[in-house]
Formats: sequence, C-alpha cells, structure tokens
Amino acid sequence: MTDLTIAIAKGRLQEEALELLTSAGLGFSSETLSSRRLAVEDESGRYCLIFVKPADVPVYVEHGIADCGIVGRDVLLESDADLLQPLSLNIGACRIVVAAKDDTPLRQLGMLRVATKYPRIAAQHFGARGVAVDIIKLSGSVELAPVLGLADCIVDLVETGKTLQENGLGIIEVITDSAARLVVNRASYQLKAEAVGQLIKSLEVALLRRASGD
Amino acid sequence: MSEPLSRIPAGMRYYSGSEARLRREIENTLVSTFGGWSYEEITTPTVDYYSLFEHGMGRSQAHHAFRFTDTDGRMLAIRPDVTSLVARAAATLFAERERPLRLCYVAPVFRQQPQSHAEWRRESTQIGCELIGASSSVSDMEVLAIVCEVLDHLNLDRHCSITLNDVEVFNGIAEEMHLGPDARNEMRELVDTRNAVDLERFLAHYSCLADSRAFAQLIQLSGKRKTLAEARRLITNARSQAALDRLERLWSVIESLQLEDRFEIDLGDVSRLDYYTGLTFKIYVSGAGTRVGSGGRYDGLTASFGRAEPAVGFVLELDALTEVLFARGYESSLIHGSAEATKLTANNLRDLFVTARKKRARGKRVVINSIEVSD
Repeated sequence: MTDLTIAIAKGRLQEEALELLTSAGLGFSSETLSSRRLAVEDESGRYCLIFVKPADVPVYVEHGIADCGIVGRDVLLESDADLLQPLSLNIGACRIVVAAKDDTPLRQLGMLRVATKYPRIAAQHFGARGVAVDIIKLSGSVELAPVLGLADCIVDLVETGKTLQENGLGIIEVITDSAARLVVNRASYQLKAEAVGQLIKSLEVALLRRASGD
Repeated sequence: MSEPLSRIPAGMRYYSGSEARLRREIENTLVSTFGGWSYEEITTPTVDYYSLFEHGMGRSQAHHAFRFTDTDGRMLAIRPDVTSLVARAAATLFAERERPLRLCYVAPVFRQQPQSHAEWRRESTQIGCELIGASSSVSDMEVLAIVCEVLDHLNLDRHCSITLNDVEVFNGIAEEMHLGPDARNEMRELVDTRNAVDLERFLAHYSCLADSRAFAQLIQLSGKRKTLAEARRLITNARSQAALDRLERLWSVIESLQLEDRFEIDLGDVSRLDYYTGLTFKIYVSGAGTRVGSGGRYDGLTASFGRAEPAVGFVLELDALTEVLFARGYESSLIHGSAEATKLTANNLRDLFVTARKKRARGKRVVINSIEVSD
C-alpha cells in the first residue's frame, strides 16, 4: 500500500512536474516514465502517480481518490473545487488573459461576446465589472473565434503569446498569473498529515534549490 | 418528449438490503449513545420560514435551500439545517426549562446545490447533539467525549482524526490588523485553503517578513501540543491568546484521557467564521474523501431568536458514515434478523395467521407464503 496517491495533469505540465518530484527525492526508472501506464509507483513504493487530464485532477483530489495533485491554477479557478493549495510550484508559469484584435469592442458598453475554454473565469472577470457577456464555450483553437467573427474577444491561457500574435490578436488585459499548484484533499491532509507534510517539505526544498540555480 | 419516470433527481438515492440495515444500525447506535449522555430527542418541522434559516445559518448557506412561497406569500424552505430549528425551540418552547438543555435529533436536510463536488448529496441525514445554556470548557469536552464514544462504537477510533480550532484565534489576528470585511475574507480564504505562499505575501503588508512566514507555516500543518506553543510565541494579541488558553486547557484534558491520538490542533480551520464563536472541530475518517461530521460553539445563534445563551453542538453525516462502513465490510456483523425465518403455509387463512401470530408473540421471524390458498 502506498502512502500517497498524486494526480498529475497530463500534457503541458507533466514533464516539469515529474522533474520537480524527482528533485524532491521521488525515484522513477526511465522505463516507468516511457511506459504508457496511467498509474505508476515510485521506486520507494511510497508514492503512486496517476496521470489524468488536467481538468480531472481537481475531481480525483476532491473525491479523495488521489490525496494530492499537481495542476495549473487556471484549471483550479475554472473547477471551483474545494481543495487545499499549500504550495505554489513555480512550474508551468503562464497567464490568463483577455485578448482581441484591438480594444474597441471592450470599450463599448453593450454586450460582449467572449469565446473561451474557461467560462467560469470569464464570467467572473466580466461580472466583477458589470459587463454583460455572452460566453461562448469552445474546446480549442479559441484564437480563431475573433478572427472569424464568432466573438469580440477571448479569455485564454497564454504562455509566450506567439499563437496570439500569429493570429493577429493582442493581449488587452491580464486576468491573473497561473503557475502550477500542489493541491491536497481536505481529509487526506488530516488523516495522512505526516506523509503530506513530508511531501510539502521536500518539494519546498527542491523549489528553493532550483531558485538558487543549483 | 416527457421525462422518463425512471429517472432519479441528482443528489437523491435509495437505500435497501444490507446497506439500509447498516444505516439503521448506525442511527440506533448514535441515538442510544446520545441517550446515554442524557440527550433528549427532538423532532423539528421539515418545512419552515426561510428567514429562520437565513438568521440561523447565514445567508450564504441558507441560499442553497429549496425555497417556495406559502399561501400568504411568505417564503418557505425545506430545512437545509437542523441547528437553527433547535435553537429557536430552545429560545421559545423551552424558554422556561432548566438549563443546560441537552437535545439530539436525526433528520434529513435538503440543499438545491451540493456542498461541494465530492459531497454530491442534496438530501443527507444529519444526526446531531446540541448542548444549550452552558458555556464552560466542561461542555466543550462533553460533546467531544460523545463524538469519541460514537467513533468507538463504530470501530472507527483508530481510523479517525478530529481537528480542533478556536475561531477567536483568527478573529483576534484580523482585529489586530484592522482588516475591513473584504480583506478579512481574503485572509480567511487563504488560511482555509492553507495557501501559505499567498498568505505570506498578504501578511507582509502588515507585519515583518519573518513573522508572516512563521504564521503562514503555522496554519499550514496541523499538530499536537507543540502547535499551540508555537502559536503562542507568534500570536500575541489578547483575544487570540485567550482562545489559545482555552484550546490548551482542552488539550490537557484530552491528554489526561489518553485520547490525543485522535485529535489534531488545526489553526487553519476557519471555514465558517460567521457562525461559530469559539471551539470548532471537524471529524475525518479514513475511506471518506470529505469530513463526516463537524461542530463547535455557537454562542451568538440563539440571540437571533430572542434569548442569548451559549451553545455547543455537532452533527454527524449518516450517509457518509454508512458509505465508509459499508465499504469496510462492517455490515456483516450488523445484519439484523439473520435468525432463520419460518416459512408459513397453511390450508386456510385463519390457521395461517393464528400460527404466525403465535410465533411472532415468541419473537420468531416469519415469512408468509403469499401464494393464494384455497379454502
């Protein structure tokens, strides 16, 4: 029986998260990492990692199927999950922004059409300033929406801004920064306090070591 | 197309068979334990005025109730909470009764929205105790002792963690920092999610870096007596200190009863500051991803019903407990009526039921063969 199950967001964050866990003392053989298995144990047998879609990380952790998770802040804000967030991980840094061809539509006071993969974040952002919005939920290639006239602007995650640029869009406004977080289930935090505490400590040490450029 | 009748609304469910028997057995165990501590059962209305719950639980919680209007236009709600109803009865029906009042209840509560994604139920049965009219640390310990006994009876004593906090620790700090309502709520949220990084950043505006960091670390991990000593060193305002004193006294009693393995001091538990006024606790058991119970001191509640008096209580979630114990296979020892049943068939109805009634009078289990007999 492993001590802790950690859910890792597949894709963008996966590699960096594994590197960080490795420098925090978890060991993975190269054959484990190259395999296509969705659940693997570290060499000590204390940790079990499961690889799931980013949006599913909060789901597994909130239900306590995974004790901890590593996932982007964008996903957390969108999910509204009731989770503990004891650590910011300094990996997968990017921003959630409002982008458009230019800022004209945003200066008008009527209805704003917003295309996004993040309907909750978008609704909250524009709701806080009393702007009426029609939120158009898309699953990808959001940058196309203003170009083709489906929306006035988009709310999306931006790493370098290159995709925006290539599609003739610019950042109008940064909603928030979004780096990866360590999230923990509320019950596991108490019932497995020792193991969770150890994981947090060793991740902190690993982050400090990285920050000082070791 | 019409909605199929087979469909069950989200958050609702049936119980049957061994799961239903287990659920009833847990209920009986809890109620008889409460009886053993002299708590009297009270049954409350299922439907009551919305304004009662709004006063009792706070608007943000009451908002989740199923609501509709009465014939006179007043807003009604299907009870989303039992404590408000008990507190009102204490202030009105039981106004003349000798204090303290010891009341307990078993009652389903309803919410339009589940509390979180993991707590998917919209109907859940709460089993709770309220001790009204006693403010001493004796009564705080009394309710904790009842919780411990319940966990013993359910064989969960080695698989549980009860976290303790006193909301006045946080209130004292917020007061000292002169936080406005928004800033106070922001800090509450950072503490509640144990978001040490952002909390440290938040506190740095108010305090020196070393103290901010130390405090952020403090709320991050729960612990035993050492946590209190560390908190004392960092938190020096009188209001918080008084709360830490109370926690320490309680902890000493817990230690003297050798129950400290089940308890943790968790200064980060600040989830319902608007409701609780002193001690708060949450009950976790292995196998449940969310808490199975919670409680605390709510000295401000009965005042809204016209009679201010101290009160402390807790609720246990019957459905969550059933789920955990059922998954553990605990049901085998609790299945009732495992005694062999006598199957009764007779040539005429009179004989059949004379026999059945005789066997029942002796306490035997019977099954009537319902195939029609010819007279």
